[in-house]
Amino acid sequence: MGIALEIYRVCREAAQAHGGGRIERVRVEIGELAAVEPDLLMFAWEAATTESPDAGATLDVAWCSAVQRCANCGEEKQRSEGSWLRICPDCGMPLQVSGGDQLDVIDVTLLGEDEEPGDAVVEEAG
Amino acid sequence: MTQVVTVKRRALAASEERAALLRRRFNEAGTLVTNLISSPGSGKTTLLEATARHMKERHTLAVIEGDVATERDADRLRALGVPAHQILTGGACHLDARQVEGALEEAGLLPVDILFIENVGNLICPTTYDLGEDFKVAVLSVTEGDDKPFKYPAIFARAEVTVVSKIDLLPHLPFDVEAVDEQLRSLNPTGTILRTSATTGEGVDAWCELLARRLSDKRDSSNRGS
Repeated sequence: MGIALEIYRVCREAAQAHGGGRIERVRVEIGELAAVEPDLLMFAWEAATTESPDAGATLDVAWCSAVQRCANCGEEKQRSEGSWLRICPDCGMPLQVSGGDQLDVIDVTLLGEDEEPGDAVVEEAG
Repeated sequence: MTQVVTVKRRALAASEERAALLRRRFNEAGTLVTNLISSPGSGKTTLLEATARHMKERHTLAVIEGDVATERDADRLRALGVPAHQILTGGACHLDARQVEGALEEAGLLPVDILFIENVGNLICPTTYDLGEDFKVAVLSVTEGDDKPFKYPAIFARAEVTVVSKIDLLPHLPFDVEAVDEQLRSLNPTGTILRTSATTGEGVDAWCELLARRLSDKRDSSNRGS
């Protein structure tokens, strides 16, 4: 829940900096090692936004897996989601874990409905 | 007219900035800070009690306790003469940098050699929040089962030290210590694994030596830096 509120705060700041429109959609990246469960985050997001002017805004979660790589044979090893290899299946050496710590707001889609007619908003579009 | 605004920002950036300020403050004070994370009942407070008995003659220690309710844990450490501040989260499942900042203001715990932050008992949420610590310590008691590192990879991949606690109970449990070591090594090849029993005292000296060594390393490197 705390994370959903932080995501919302970051989005709202971005919205304010770009004309203050209503948020339609937010894209986030969540890593496998971020200790965040996407389903729970979606649920918390709804709770965090439901009483706000941005009620109904969509949260798109992109899931980013961590990678287990063998330092000995240098290759990234395939594993099924959520399971971890104990050692390199090819050479028996220890594996190293990298990535998967994303907890990032990528972009925010804003509706400019409350904006005054003008072009400033369009110019600032990223 | 809709527009897409690129944000590319850590969701917890504001919290991480506060943690960076805390880290600077701890560095200036020459204080080693550990963030202890585990499930409820794995023995964090008991480990700290044993640590206090072992270290308090030679080092100054302080503790920040995070709990949903009650001052019990802080009281246990105060009883050993260790300054302890209790943060009551009122339902929140983790501590954040702002609360630690508040605790420092309120309790005046610095300067001190080692500050232990005992997080709320929870293997998930506290993992995500930087408190300005030098390193995270995961405590895993043998009664929790030997499958936990792979079930909660985030904390075990990040904790620089994992303490396998309550090892005096091993004869009574189907707990495979080698399997745990293997899981920890695959998630965290450079991490340190310690085994302790606060009841018999086994392994407590190795844990305290690690803390003392990390403290002197930290002070050596900051002396070299200044």
